[in-house]
Amino acid sequence: MTSDPHIKARRENIFVAIGVVFVVACLPLFVTDVYVQNVLVLTLMYAALSQSWNILSGFCGQISLGHALYFGTGAYVTELLFTKFGVAPWFGMPAGGLVAAVIAAAVGYPCFRLKGHYFVIATIVIAEAGYLLMLNWDYAGAAQGIDIPVRADSWAKFQFLRSKLPYFYFALGFAFVAWLVTYMIEESRWSYWWRAAKDNADAAESLGVDVFRSKMAAAALSAFLTAVGGGFYAQFVSYIDPESVMGFQFSLLMALPAVLGGLGTLWGPAVGAGILIPLTELTRSFAGGSGKGLDLIIYGLLVMGIALGRPEGIVGAVTKRARKGRP
Amino acid sequence: MTAQAVAQSLVSGLLMGLIYALVAAGLALVFGLMNVVNFAHGEFLMTAMYAAFGLFVAVSLDPLLAAPFVAAAMFIFGSVVYLGVVRFAMSASANAGMVQIFATFGLGVVMRGLAQLLFTPNYRSIPHSWLGGRTMQIAGVYLPAPQLAGACVSLATFGALWLIINRTDFGRALEATREDSGAVALVGIDRKRIFALGWGLGAALVGLAGAVLAIFFYIYPDVGASFSLIAYVTVALGGFGSVFGAFAAGILVGLVEAGSALVLPASLKYVGVYALYLLVVLVRPRGLFGSL
Amino acid sequence: MDDGKEREPRMKLNRREIMTGAAVLAAAPRVARAQGAGEILIGAVFPMTGSTAQTGLDAKNAIETAAAIINDKTDLDLPLARGAGLPGFGGAKVRVIYADHQGDPQKGRAEAERLITQEKAVALIGCYHSAVSATVSQTAERYALPFMCADSSSPSLSRRGLKFFFRASAHDEMFSSAMFDLMDSLRAKGQKIETLALFHEDTIFGADSANVQTKLAGERGYRIACDVKYRANSPSLTTEVQQIKSAAADVLMPSSYTTDGILLVRTMNELGYKPRAIVAQAAGFSEQALYDAVGDLLHGAITRGSFSLDLAQKRPMVARVNDLFKARAGKDLNDNSAREFMALIVLADGVNRAGTTDGEAIRAALTATDIPGDRTIMPWKGVRFDATGQNNGCDPVLLQYDGRKFVTVFPLLAAISEPVWPMNS
Repeated sequence: MTSDPHIKARRENIFVAIGVVFVVACLPLFVTDVYVQNVLVLTLMYAALSQSWNILSGFCGQISLGHALYFGTGAYVTELLFTKFGVAPWFGMPAGGLVAAVIAAAVGYPCFRLKGHYFVIATIVIAEAGYLLMLNWDYAGAAQGIDIPVRADSWAKFQFLRSKLPYFYFALGFAFVAWLVTYMIEESRWSYWWRAAKDNADAAESLGVDVFRSKMAAAALSAFLTAVGGGFYAQFVSYIDPESVMGFQFSLLMALPAVLGGLGTLWGPAVGAGILIPLTELTRSFAGGSGKGLDLIIYGLLVMGIALGRPEGIVGAVTKRARKGRP
Repeated sequence: MTAQAVAQSLVSGLLMGLIYALVAAGLALVFGLMNVVNFAHGEFLMTAMYAAFGLFVAVSLDPLLAAPFVAAAMFIFGSVVYLGVVRFAMSASANAGMVQIFATFGLGVVMRGLAQLLFTPNYRSIPHSWLGGRTMQIAGVYLPAPQLAGACVSLATFGALWLIINRTDFGRALEATREDSGAVALVGIDRKRIFALGWGLGAALVGLAGAVLAIFFYIYPDVGASFSLIAYVTVALGGFGSVFGAFAAGILVGLVEAGSALVLPASLKYVGVYALYLLVVLVRPRGLFGSL
Repeated sequence: MDDGKEREPRMKLNRREIMTGAAVLAAAPRVARAQGAGEILIGAVFPMTGSTAQTGLDAKNAIETAAAIINDKTDLDLPLARGAGLPGFGGAKVRVIYADHQGDPQKGRAEAERLITQEKAVALIGCYHSAVSATVSQTAERYALPFMCADSSSPSLSRRGLKFFFRASAHDEMFSSAMFDLMDSLRAKGQKIETLALFHEDTIFGADSANVQTKLAGERGYRIACDVKYRANSPSLTTEVQQIKSAAADVLMPSSYTTDGILLVRTMNELGYKPRAIVAQAAGFSEQALYDAVGDLLHGAITRGSFSLDLAQKRPMVARVNDLFKARAGKDLNDNSAREFMALIVLADGVNRAGTTDGEAIRAALTATDIPGDRTIMPWKGVRFDATGQNNGCDPVLLQYDGRKFVTVFPLLAAISEPVWPMNS
């Protein structure tokens, strides 16, 4: 079977991924500047988040611009458990994931029958409603948010005063897990059903129940991973409020890398995040202090240019060129 | 809460709803025409408001009189945006939906940045205009002149739109292009031209809305955000492809917003609007009057 | 499904893309400038884009005004104003580097780390948004260098047990207490003030303000006739205004930024509601833009503030500092910009006395700060930090808008006239 080119390619993907993880894991040996390390952590986190988003919106085809809801759920569950009940984030993050998965299933159950923009807008308004509720929920700190005191480095509490490395390696592992989940889904029966349902209405009909169940599962999985990312972000920043973890901009930020890198591709989110997040951060740091809006102009032009110039995403564009180049 | 206060809220909600409909009209037209959601809609509105403000500062033109000029300028702007950006997004070889969303979203970010660069982030407003600050009272219910004017402009606009769509060649071409953009090429309709005019018309409608809002609303680079989500919800609630759905939905959104603020804490009033949207599309997945 | 032949090149190129991404990162511009000889760097983190960008720009102008006064020889009676630069460092100049946090606590923290580790800032100033001040002050704490909170007024900020947190100006409890002191004094003179209408936005600022006001009203015997928490930047405030109109309270107490302030005042006018009195929690009600828009509807409105131009009558220096600021910003100093100005002066004074760029030493010097009120531009008793890093000598003032300008009406020490009450009399 090893001669089967398809299996060979699958295996190669795994080797490449492990190689990339290894190379990235060595980066801190050369990059000691905390600002750059901070950018690396964010890049890996958005790679993982975008990978999670890609499962539902890229592979499954249900475009969600409301993933901030799951991100915020993860952040809030983790920190409410931590600050109110002393539960370590190691348990809080998966707990947040489970809560978000349940919410995603509850949202998906009625909404999956909505088509196109009706679904997109439904995800936006549900996330916005969640944001407004958090803004008014006094127990969870309402608008004042939750300040997470950090007094000493602690693995048990997963908080570190100055070092970014623990966060870096967590984010790297998180990104790899999200990649691995996508890798497994790409070849699964689900993926086959979704494509069949997208391409062929009759197939969709006959697979109806299976497709619906698998979509629910995809939504739950996507939300679970996104919420783990939210819990991680809350620990990383050590302060959360509704605006900073549930704002609409997060929904866009999670979608952008996947769109840029290649919607519904295995490598798209990682490639997209690797380009977009450093550029976003550097633009703000070096053009933002002027107060003239230059960073917005550069960022907006970048998004526009990429969307228009590479509609199939970078991964897609590269594949296409490679195909053309072949006899 | 007295009956009078409830009446006041509902009347205000109705007036505001007509203004929401006006704000959403351009978005609905462009979506109905070519299935593109303009994620820079809020920034179009911001641009129109700055245009009205600029005319007021430069030549002391009252925003009500400035409205046609703002609409004309926005018509050109809308056509240019179609030819310069949207055309390419629509011909994207893959993921057309996402490309359109992010191309127009990026455009919106650039417009906000440019507004900050050109006009500074300061809050502007038109302190004195014919209608600004005037109000009339009928049976204890106040009817503010600016909103009343906005509601009238909204009614007139939708009336004119109805005439354009149903009684002119351009309207028939629009409709034909919407229904089957492949076939129209065969009967000699230039699709690109229709689309460019359609975008121009959509932006001109935003121009009218911006001029009306400039009478009583504040103006700054991020002002579009206050209206854009409501505009999207309005269009989707009315049903994509139906301009008049947007009209009905705008009024409904205005009334539900005012009603929600009466029964819920005011800070949660949009939860009522969002619930309305979900309720409607779960019962009618194509919105109230949608054809797509 | 693609077959393997097509997959292989895809991956190779991916690898290249990924490596490019990594290379970009590794080569991230290391603009770290060595601490120039004769320069002391201070990092300022403010919103420079987004809906509060104007505040960030005003802050920059205010801080630059302060830096110029410190660096140049002047005859103003402010700390460090008379000489050129910091005498403790042989006349070194203060240079402030600005960073944009866009109102996001994460970005604020990242920029703070950049300013500390790359730019080698010796202390930080910020951040307007209380949420961002929370993360930036935590970062300063972790790097053991001082954070001077210029203009965030959330009381909780100074109650987190941070060693390196300093706030020279008042927090919301002090501000709201002053507002109630004014009402108490009017009551003592026989004015009927029984009921209050709170009108506040659903942000950390609005919530903090309303919480304190609710508590103080209970303690001092006022009844809250209605408490309207509204969605910030709503397109319409009609129903909300209808509610405060129906409540017909003796005093309307808004906690709103400029945008909602403009819409609030216009909507009140359109619904025929003339409140008996307005006592505002500054923010929008101390911004010129609000009075440009709706000033003619606000004759007699009172707002709390940190700063009053009237002080120039007793202390001419205030007018001169204001002129310097106006030359840069095109407007008068206000509640926020005056606090930002003083923040740099107080911070630089501490750095100068420390005589070293060591964070602990600067912290020690700041805790020993003792600036008398008349050597500030504020109506303060003085600047002395308590154990939490809060200055308790920063009495707020209450200012009444007379149709053209603000007149200080409270407390008696700073007042130049009696408050007009009710506002439309």
